[in-house]
Amino acid sequence: MNDRALQDDVIRALADAPYRASAEWRGRGLVDAGKVERFARFLARHFYHERIVHFFKYSRALARVTARWPEAVLRQPGFDALLATAVLGERATAHAVARLVTAYVAGEEVPYHKDLLRYQEAMMVVEAGPRVWRDTGRDDDRPAVVPPPSWLKAPSCSSWSTTCQRCCPSCCNRGQRPPRLRGAQRASSWRARVTDAWRWHARATPSLPWCASPMARVRWTTWRARPVFVPAKSRRRYAI
Amino acid sequence: MMVGAFYNPHLGAELAAARNIDHLAMADPPAAGDRHWPAIKQRYTLLLHDYLGQLSEPLDDRAIERARSLAGLYDSPWVAEHFQCLHTEDGTYNLNYVFPPLYTEEFLARFVTNANALKARLDQPLVMENIPGFFDVHASQMPEPVWLRRFFDATGTGFLLDLPHVWLEAHYRGLTPQAWLAEFPLEHVVEVHVAGVEQDRDLEGPWIAPTAPSDAMLDFMAHALTRCPATRAVTFDAFSPSLTADVLFSSVDRIRAAL
Repeated sequence: MNDRALQDDVIRALADAPYRASAEWRGRGLVDAGKVERFARFLARHFYHERIVHFFKYSRALARVTARWPEAVLRQPGFDALLATAVLGERATAHAVARLVTAYVAGEEVPYHKDLLRYQEAMMVVEAGPRVWRDTGRDDDRPAVVPPPSWLKAPSCSSWSTTCQRCCPSCCNRGQRPPRLRGAQRASSWRARVTDAWRWHARATPSLPWCASPMARVRWTTWRARPVFVPAKSRRRYAI
Repeated sequence: MMVGAFYNPHLGAELAAARNIDHLAMADPPAAGDRHWPAIKQRYTLLLHDYLGQLSEPLDDRAIERARSLAGLYDSPWVAEHFQCLHTEDGTYNLNYVFPPLYTEEFLARFVTNANALKARLDQPLVMENIPGFFDVHASQMPEPVWLRRFFDATGTGFLLDLPHVWLEAHYRGLTPQAWLAEFPLEHVVEVHVAGVEQDRDLEGPWIAPTAPSDAMLDFMAHALTRCPATRAVTFDAFSPSLTADVLFSSVDRIRAAL
């Protein structure tokens, strides 16, 4: 085994809890097992903190109304229990973490929060692999570090038709026409496709207020929940 | 000597109006909707300090073009990258956090080759930042400072000395920070990073945090600067949405006072 492969082995041990616990890894005796475990837990909390903050940004914005911050789950026993089986970047782990967040954040304060949580959870799972979200320097959100694994390839919304049940089955089932996407989005950006699908879904859902995007819906909710401020002139007028 | 901080976009308004900061390091490109960016760009010397890639592998043309365009956008006097190897070669596992390579001959050859290739494509000098190890891997063949010295001698790149990283390594090795620092190739240092550390529950010990540097850390910085004659900038290394303007500006003031 060359040094690069050895480094890969150390990285895997830090990222993959079951491998870290295996006889194969422990038998190598490369490192202090206690220190590696502590560092791996530190990395896992950091890894999912970043992802929760990114993917549950709408629920974070709604915390002004709900008083429940999604990243708070990282300090709860449920997440600690998950660390024994966590594999950083794996869909199953992303799903488990997202479920913890959803269970913690869900509530009755915001009527559309359940739908929003489903969307955020789905995005966190589908983007579970190694990604750089903040910038790729190309005005899209393709990864800058390494290409996504093949299973990350999203269904193409340009192929929406009555037979396309994968993108948004509930919409297709209602027999409504799927969204038309702008050319650049359709060609290059998975997130843009999902966001546009969400926008269309929001407009097609009559029980929810119409808004342009999930964040706009969140802003609308937090605006409604704001403390009512009566301007000074009005206060004087009402004083008598 | 310049004294600066990292550009924290949530403090854009305060930074645009600040007078006690000479430069800003850019960890991320400016967001498209950042209304403070034009003022920041006009007001400050900007240092490219983004993730360009890991030099255990050659950077591809796309990554190099990105580095070139960001360096051009910032008009950065130098370009920084880290001594890190944080994802597996096939991309299956990625720690999403700085992590050092094995200090071996093979990794030295890889980093030298790939840093020279990157350097040749940049219009600005390349500087490399040291990364702390929380544990030793028994496969390493030489101490980190020896590996770094050989790297800098072979590439002629500058050294971005992160003092909290040295401080933490010394702590976990049971050494004094000054004794551990003395092993490093300080004559290559171009820029110094200073920051605070906090107790971490998982690590059961201190680790880097977006907090103000302690008096002990500032004393350590003053000690280090007497041994780094080519240093051109000191940067308060804190980049986090939780960082407050108070902490940022008071830290820069205290760094300046300790010089």
